[in-house]
Amino acid sequence: MKRAERKRFMLALVAVIIMSLVFTSCSSSEDVKTEDNGEKKEPIRLTIWHQSVGDADPTSKLITEAINEWNEAHPDIIVEEDGVTGEQYKTRIKTALAAGEGPDLCYMWGGSFVQPYIEAGKLLPIDEYVDDTVLSKLIEGTINGCTYNGKIYSLPMYTFIASLYCNTELFEKAGAKIPSTYDELVDAVKKLRAAGITPVVLGEKDRWPGMYWYDIMAMRQAGSDETKAALKDPSKFNSPDFIEAARKLQELVDLGAFNENMFSMSFDEMVTAFANGEAAMIYQGNWIQAAVEDPESPTKGKVVAKPFPVFTDGKGTVTEFYGGAVDGFYINATTPHPKEAAEFLIFLSEKLGKGGYLAGAGLPCWNTEGLDTSNLNPLTVQTADLMKTATSFITWWDNILPAEASEIHKNLVAELLAKKLTPEEFCQQMSQVEGSTLPLN
Amino acid sequence: MNTVLSDKKAICFFVIPTILIYIAVIFLPIVMSINYSMLKWDGIGKGTFIGFGNYIELFSDSRFLNSVVHSFLFAFVSIFIQLPISLLFALILANGVKGEKFFRTVYFIPVIMSTVVIGQLWSKIYNADYGLLNTFLKAIGLGSLARDWLGREDTALIASFIPILWQYVGYHMLIMYSGAKSISADIYEAAKIDGASAIKTAFKITIPLMKPVLKVSVMFSLIGSLKVFDLIYVLTKGGPFFSTEVPSTYMYTIIFDSYRYGYGSAIAVFIVVECLVLTVLFDKLIKV
Repeated sequence: MKRAERKRFMLALVAVIIMSLVFTSCSSSEDVKTEDNGEKKEPIRLTIWHQSVGDADPTSKLITEAINEWNEAHPDIIVEEDGVTGEQYKTRIKTALAAGEGPDLCYMWGGSFVQPYIEAGKLLPIDEYVDDTVLSKLIEGTINGCTYNGKIYSLPMYTFIASLYCNTELFEKAGAKIPSTYDELVDAVKKLRAAGITPVVLGEKDRWPGMYWYDIMAMRQAGSDETKAALKDPSKFNSPDFIEAARKLQELVDLGAFNENMFSMSFDEMVTAFANGEAAMIYQGNWIQAAVEDPESPTKGKVVAKPFPVFTDGKGTVTEFYGGAVDGFYINATTPHPKEAAEFLIFLSEKLGKGGYLAGAGLPCWNTEGLDTSNLNPLTVQTADLMKTATSFITWWDNILPAEASEIHKNLVAELLAKKLTPEEFCQQMSQVEGSTLPLN
Repeated sequence: MNTVLSDKKAICFFVIPTILIYIAVIFLPIVMSINYSMLKWDGIGKGTFIGFGNYIELFSDSRFLNSVVHSFLFAFVSIFIQLPISLLFALILANGVKGEKFFRTVYFIPVIMSTVVIGQLWSKIYNADYGLLNTFLKAIGLGSLARDWLGREDTALIASFIPILWQYVGYHMLIMYSGAKSISADIYEAAKIDGASAIKTAFKITIPLMKPVLKVSVMFSLIGSLKVFDLIYVLTKGGPFFSTEVPSTYMYTIIFDSYRYGYGSAIAVFIVVECLVLTVLFDKLIKV
């Protein structure tokens, strides 16, 4: 290559590199433009991340509808959504918020999941944007779960409670009675086993479904107040009531209450198995109703939702519920448009709160007066009625306990189910975990 | 072109972009991980510096040590079971069986399939109720052997190794196959004239001449086993009771479920150092 040619070659290379730099920086310069030109016709763009994807999830459709409605009504504030499924979403939002690259609005699980982000100042309090007219539309008390250190960070949409879902057809086949006390539960388990039916299906590969069983049994045995105290100060777990709850859980294991392959079964497989009529009972949140009430589900119309059986020797009552979690959307503290984001948040929360209830996604946190509830499926009505009887809620323990403590809790329950631990060892180890600093109203 | 390549400026011009990208995506993250591994940090707020505290905890954490044992066990199984199978396939194919191309493609299919697909496939095969494996065992009268393969501590580890071995047999076969194919035909001709049998040819000519390729395969297999993650995560998530946990799945749980970025980073650094040390050692010890 001659000298002149070489020079040209180098020039071309430089040109290519400069061009590539220009192109890659294009996207960021665009953002800057929209931030500064509020007065010009350039619309504001808000991004929202959520975890509701897939056809079976009614929320997924509702979010898209709500966003479309908003975008039509507000051409100057365009909202863009981006969703990935639950476990992936957790990883993604943690990484993005930690790196300061989060969206304007994001879905967050309540309690100990969102707490560290609030303490680190990553999320925006919205008190100044939420006025009394908004608050008056909420069912009383539901705002508590969105309040941290006296400031409102989010609005509730709909909530979930766990209930014991019973397949009436299988109960009839085994001649068993739908249990309302622990003794009846034991009796039903025996009869179902004798009839060759799996009494309870449990997907313990994901570990949290088993946690639900121990947690509600502990609440039935020790009662709501004692349980709340223990969650704040876990040394109280090392006491007779919690040991007795663990013993009862192992008693159910010994009676063959759970499916034999529980340790290799995932949550999804568990729900499918129940909806296919392969087991008589499941203790889960109302998000499983969509699968059961699906037109093609063999169990449609055969399932009833009941509160978890009470223990005659326990302090818990039938009106104490496991659940009532408040998850919802939160605003990134670094968003350039806090006011618009808050307006959208209020719009979306109400829209999803009401629409979600009607679509069977969850139980309402917003005033439902004037809504046409005639098309609601029976399970939603049953659980909504159950929730009306509630005197207290304790939400999912893995949302109450700090992250590491809830990991330990879930692992310990799995070991309890496998009988690798005695009830005493279980409670001894539970008493060592870090307690919750949440208010637990 | 020679004048361009002997010009130092031109060399820099070509090399620097690659080096910059390499530093940005490989070197910097490692340095940052080392930095994080000295912190007690939940990944959100500010971390506190605790020096080697995480590393001290690491080596007294029985759950972590067990996961390391599992990964070495896996490396052992890969090298002594998977590679011989690959070698056998490679030799048979290189010998020119009928449909050589067809088999080559078939063995390679698992490699190009998505790991999640393979994970789903095998978790259905292992399913205790309707799985292929249990159904087969019951059909041939061995119903007593049927069990919940991935749900029991005694079988879960080996049951989760098998799909990974199965997946990469084709990969190593292809490496070895190309090694075997690159041996000059003259040598085989000479061997044939001298009356060497096919097996003798394989052991005395093909395998010795393939040594550099075999070394590469063993190295890939070793390093791949130590950092295995995806299939284990899909199949068992490290459970039941950590019986299938390997360092990378443990790291994932620690970071994303327990919020311990510092401790998780220490595990990440351990995996990097472990792989580097073993690669260098292996290279020095085995001279080909």
